[in-house]
Amino acid sequence: MKNNFDAIIIGAGLNGLTTAAYLAKAGHRVLVLEARQALGGTAVTEELAPGVLCDTLVGNLTGFDPRIARELGLSGVEFIGADPSVHALQPDGAGLTLWRDVGKTAEGLRPFSARDADKWGAFVERVARVSGFMEALYAATPPRPNEVKSESLWTLGSLGLKLRGLGKTDLYEALRMLPIAIADWMDEWFENETLKGVLAAGGVTALMQGPLATGTTLNFMHRQVYGGGVIRPTRYVRGGIGKLADALANVVRARGGEIRQGERVVRITLKDDMATGVVLQNGEELAARRIGSSADPHTTFLDLVGAYELDAEFVRAVRTIKYRGANVKLNFLLDGLPTFHNTDPSLLRGTIAVNPTVTALERAYDDAKYGSVSENPYLEFTIPTLADSSRAPEGKHVMSAWLQYAPYTLKTGDWRPETERVREKALGILSRYAPGIESRVLESQVLTPCDLQETYHLREGCLTQGAVMLDQFFFMRPVPGWAQYQTPIANLYLCGGGAHPGGGVAGAAGRNAAREMGKG
Amino acid sequence: MANPFDVIVIGGGHNGLINAAYLARARKKVMVLERRHLVGGAAVTEEIFPGYKFSEFSYVVSLLRPEIIRELELAKHGLEILPLPSTFTPTLDHDYIAFWDDHDETRREIYRHSPHDADAYDDYGFQMYQMAKAIRPILSMIPPDPAALSFTELRRLLQLGQFARSLPEKTIYQLYKLMTMSAADFLDEWFDCVPLKGTKTASGIIGTFMGPRSPGTAYVLLHHYMGEIDGAFRAWGFAKGGTGGVSEAIASSARALGVEIRLSAPVSRVIVRNGRAVGVALENGDDLYADTIVSSLDPKRTFLKLVDEKELPDDFVDSIRRFKTRGSSGKVNLALSELPRFAAFESLVRHNDSAAPMRALRGAVSISPSIEYIERAFDDAKYGNFSQRPYMDMIIPSLIDPQMAPPGKHVMSIFVQYAPYNLNGGWNDARREAFGDAVINTLAEFAPNIKSAILHRQVLTPWDVEEITGLTEGNIFAGELALHQLFFLRPAPRWGSYRTPLRHFYQCGSGTHPGGGIMGAGGRLAALEILKDEK
Repeated sequence: MKNNFDAIIIGAGLNGLTTAAYLAKAGHRVLVLEARQALGGTAVTEELAPGVLCDTLVGNLTGFDPRIARELGLSGVEFIGADPSVHALQPDGAGLTLWRDVGKTAEGLRPFSARDADKWGAFVERVARVSGFMEALYAATPPRPNEVKSESLWTLGSLGLKLRGLGKTDLYEALRMLPIAIADWMDEWFENETLKGVLAAGGVTALMQGPLATGTTLNFMHRQVYGGGVIRPTRYVRGGIGKLADALANVVRARGGEIRQGERVVRITLKDDMATGVVLQNGEELAARRIGSSADPHTTFLDLVGAYELDAEFVRAVRTIKYRGANVKLNFLLDGLPTFHNTDPSLLRGTIAVNPTVTALERAYDDAKYGSVSENPYLEFTIPTLADSSRAPEGKHVMSAWLQYAPYTLKTGDWRPETERVREKALGILSRYAPGIESRVLESQVLTPCDLQETYHLREGCLTQGAVMLDQFFFMRPVPGWAQYQTPIANLYLCGGGAHPGGGVAGAAGRNAAREMGKG
Repeated sequence: MANPFDVIVIGGGHNGLINAAYLARARKKVMVLERRHLVGGAAVTEEIFPGYKFSEFSYVVSLLRPEIIRELELAKHGLEILPLPSTFTPTLDHDYIAFWDDHDETRREIYRHSPHDADAYDDYGFQMYQMAKAIRPILSMIPPDPAALSFTELRRLLQLGQFARSLPEKTIYQLYKLMTMSAADFLDEWFDCVPLKGTKTASGIIGTFMGPRSPGTAYVLLHHYMGEIDGAFRAWGFAKGGTGGVSEAIASSARALGVEIRLSAPVSRVIVRNGRAVGVALENGDDLYADTIVSSLDPKRTFLKLVDEKELPDDFVDSIRRFKTRGSSGKVNLALSELPRFAAFESLVRHNDSAAPMRALRGAVSISPSIEYIERAFDDAKYGNFSQRPYMDMIIPSLIDPQMAPPGKHVMSIFVQYAPYNLNGGWNDARREAFGDAVINTLAEFAPNIKSAILHRQVLTPWDVEEITGLTEGNIFAGELALHQLFFLRPAPRWGSYRTPLRHFYQCGSGTHPGGGIMGAGGRLAALEILKDEK
């Protein structure tokens, strides 16, 4: 087995590809191994039907550090910032809209609540300032809390200065915001139930927690980082989110890197506690100086390395990482645009939230807490073909919905009988707002948390490779003591969403990991 | 004209009294004004029914700082803590788990349920103890203001940094996990046994408006674990003469130091001149003046009721308004003709001996059969209902201190959660009784003789707690112990150091750092800061 490669990257999701692209650009010989045929991981575009492109899982690229595009010289990627970013449907037909423009949103809020309309501008500004601080935090390698190395101190010091640079009020707000429950935080700002609900829904995105839980504001802010100051942004990639993965892959290839699709890594080979290469499912062995795994920590350490190679305490920490997927993804091909009450189709370009309220979200969570799919789940969907007509033949539309809460572990123990029930439930809810929508469905795809795990390698159906919670954040991610992308195995690095700052911020972990892997 | 007093302390709860005593120790002339006819605030003993004395609100002691006991010579003034040696948790299937004073006995109990947990229990106890020890200095630390640029504040920040650096890295991670995790998740990492986790998790939710699955509840586990540490009394204890005994001892010490305590003297307002507190107006129309005014009342009562809003900065008033004080618990005090007989006693005797039931009743009895039981109790509360089957923590003080009830009779104090302050439709007599019935009906599932044993019953809702003690929304910690309301954020950003936006006006109650329980740290630390400012 020869040291053929400088680096092997396991997994061609956005993070894995980002790491690979940065390393390739720095002159390393890189090989990327992807188990599936398609690139992109959770950011994958596949055909829902012949000629119909669908972002199977994540279609809304809320956060993407613009530096990545610039530094790597990405080409062929066109972002579409949907406007409005969110439209909330209400049972009485009066929808509430969040536009990209602050003033326009405030004016739209006025009929609902003059007080909320007046506060909107200040709210947007506060979020923008705190997310600005978080952008610096997300681009840094977390320091060790009590290490006295100059590098750690420098990171801590510059983050501290940045934090203090927020000014007193924002600094305190930042410190309060991260732990506070989104429901409480909303009560501090607003009075309109739908406005509070649509923002609170952002606090529980992909999280098995209700809006009353501590730390849900952190999850809300997580989705604001690199969002360009737009509240709950909706951002598509023209032609499908897979184009972003393609662009990253092109950088890798252009710099001499190699990407092999349909090649599943089954083991990381070790010699003297050092990673030396990988073994593929077909038995082939490949060697490299460094291995970067963008698989989740559980898969990386317990499946690919093996618990016996690792310290028991570390293994215990890896085992107790909370994944807890909360969603079912539904994709529909429609033979025309459904009419939602009397909602103008132009309002449907972004994310559409179905009657969001804090109480409804919390009640939906209650069922899942005890191991059932929500009796009345929360639905959020997009119709990307409205903003990007290139994805489907004329007249046809793709509708992609997230249903929450759907626990990976059901009390009944079996997801199979639930799948069809969940589809009917989702269509039943939608038909209350768009009567007859069922008859427009030409194709449907239902992906349960089990499907997300089996097909897309998302452990427990978790979209962020570990829930974005306070105790799994920053220097605690993926496990305490190992937040610097290195692992207890020399030459093995984590470069996926399991590492800081987590999934849902495309490429951020990958960029940081490349920096650490490129050292020495 | 010189003021007759140097300091006026508003409120004669334990923190107010401690504050006054420390100031008097530094030769200040101090007057304490208490609204009620007795000292103690929420730490009082009252004879609610003739012959039956109750620790009406707060009912156990563990957190009272040992330096306070020492420095105020509380033992000399009658403080006596009787140990509360065990916790007994009956389960719905008439089994139980018990935590005894004796380590080996406890281990045997846990082993019966889960050998794995019996091993983990020692390790858990060790780690919690280490962490409580590690965090202890924070209880006597003045919170720094991370946004301030003054020399003092930067020095405090540096001290905090040095303190953090002195801890082993592993301890920092563990502490951080405790601060941010849910009690349920934290305990799931350690244990399997369902009633064990139920009982442990219960101490994480006491006084909070959160369920055991809410992140942030693990911290309160530690807060309660601190009681295990200090030399004065290792575990939870019961004050002789009820919790009022603690307050009386502090008051006695304060008086001996020259503090004047005026009872039945409700303060209506703090008199402010040019941004400086100069005195207080009593409800009876008297005005009293002093150089320094200290409030031991909760932050909302202090700043929104006693002080004219116009005297305070707007953002400060906003902060105090949004300070969360949701009361979540009630209290049921019973006079009993006989002791409760738990259905689990049979199993208890089988696994121990015939004396075990009496030993169990001498300790705490916890109705916390599982995490899910408590979480479901919270589900009721979060939508504005009291729990149909609440979590309860009971003690029978008459078994420990016979003076609490007539011979042969007993008093039982039941802490009940959840009872939301903001009950749908509001609390009234009918709902109070319905709440009392839910408590007794639930208890009867575990101890079938309870209904026939009741001679008298007092039910206290959060509204009652607020009405009687003055604690806003009946919150027993004078403000929730939530992550965003701790340390330098308690009670409001920038004002975590016992000072207030008004000159010569201070706060010292449980609504300040470190808050909660009969700890007294706020009262003491505030006194030390006041004295510092005078130099």
